Amino acid sequence: MPLEIKNVSRLFEGSKKETLKNISFTVNDGEFICIAGPSGCGKSTLLNIIAGLDRPTGGKLCLNGTEITGPGADRVVMFQEHALYPWLNVIENVKFGMKLAGLSKNEQEARAERYLKMVRLWDFRNYRIHEISGGMRQRTALARSLCLDSPLLLMDEPFSALDKQTINKLRSDLECIWEETGKTVLFVTHSVEEAVFLADRIVVLSDHPGCVKEIFSVDLPRPRVIDSAEFLAIRHKILSCVEREVEKVAEKEYDYR
Amino acid sequence: MITAKIQGLLFLLFLILLWQVLYILGTGVFKWWKPYALPSPRGVLLSLQKLIQNGTLIHATTCSIRRALSGFFLALLIGSVFGLIISASSFFKRNLKPLFTGIQSLPSICWVPFAILWFGLGEASILFVIVIGSVFSVSLAIENAIQTIPPIYLKAARTMGASRIQLYTSVIIPAALPGFLAGLKQSWSFSWRALMSGEVISAYVGLGYTLMAGRDMADINQVTAVMLVIIAVGMIVDKLVFSNLERHVLKKRGLA
Repeated sequence: MPLEIKNVSRLFEGSKKETLKNISFTVNDGEFICIAGPSGCGKSTLLNIIAGLDRPTGGKLCLNGTEITGPGADRVVMFQEHALYPWLNVIENVKFGMKLAGLSKNEQEARAERYLKMVRLWDFRNYRIHEISGGMRQRTALARSLCLDSPLLLMDEPFSALDKQTINKLRSDLECIWEETGKTVLFVTHSVEEAVFLADRIVVLSDHPGCVKEIFSVDLPRPRVIDSAEFLAIRHKILSCVEREVEKVAEKEYDYR
Repeated sequence: MITAKIQGLLFLLFLILLWQVLYILGTGVFKWWKPYALPSPRGVLLSLQKLIQNGTLIHATTCSIRRALSGFFLALLIGSVFGLIISASSFFKRNLKPLFTGIQSLPSICWVPFAILWFGLGEASILFVIVIGSVFSVSLAIENAIQTIPPIYLKAARTMGASRIQLYTSVIIPAALPGFLAGLKQSWSFSWRALMSGEVISAYVGLGYTLMAGRDMADINQVTAVMLVIIAVGMIVDKLVFSNLERHVLKKRGLA
């Protein structure tokens, strides 16, 4: 069953403008959706609403036909910062969510091993969080999210704080894992290249109010080659759509002076 | 490391030497002070020796430490409850926290009249003064430690399906631990000070009492000797217990 987003709006107290206005789209099972748009357009707000960490001021969201009213383990979020717990080591962090869910020790051990091997961190399982690199931290966070076996994985610019090489590696890793696990992924990014590389469909949000501006389908075969002509053509098309929005934001910011 | 220790020791020796010189100049050469009004290093040392030999000091110190620790742990228990209540409810955060901050600034000796009226002269009143002297500090330490937890820790746990209780047991308490330990150091010093207020008024044994006994005998050297012991014990507990604990926790998390 899909995730349905129906006329979702979010108005923050004190500001007259709606951060999100009448957002509607449906995410199908097993789909990889990227949400792109200029910074400040409400991408993260939308993700937080889907996660249940924030409530919409209008409209509603349904996952598998039931309305979303709060956070839950069926929609695990991976944040821009790793959000790992420094008092736990790598494997304890990975087991954290499973412990909350009350899974048996054996099950916890088995899943932690499976996903830590998937993100190639099994050898580092006893390391403390401060002893591993930024990329490894995000991979740990990814393993922690995957362990919960949630059908929907929400990702809020998870790679944006990392260096270019690490990002490229993690993108391919994520694509493989997505294909292997068959999860539905909702991935917020400001990088059009990242969106074209990963997504089945790309939802471009406009700014002030944040509305769905356009939804692009990316039908390129996987794994995608970043410098192929088809890739660049789609990237260019989406980029010009996003850039018009970025310019709008820039103009507005000048006006406010 | 070793040179730093030697340096510290030499500095201490220098201070004692300065003190001796001041004593000789002040009481002997210039006659600024009467000899009984100014302690001397030698007099303090003799006083210490006397107090150790007749067993007073050991007995008083163990007695005081026992009182301080029991009062501190009681304050820890009660203060933790209030700290958790304040941090869990925006109503109490708005209304109770400023009150606690205000009461915390009240010197604990102000509670002594209440202590004597309610509990009489004795152990219970001293315990009361210690608890009331540090319980607000403990509450505020807990509240502050919880306040400064990165919000993302809680967000992440909630999206992984944590219940409110799990949020406390699995995230809030471990995440608040380093900040709380730092706050406890201050609470300990509040306890230790409050103990002295209590003992000065209503004890028959203890460091505070020994200090007052020195005053009653006009023995400024004994007063100074006890003061030094009070400082030393406060420092030793701080270093031995709290600093070690804090360092251990911080090291484990890569923060030190």
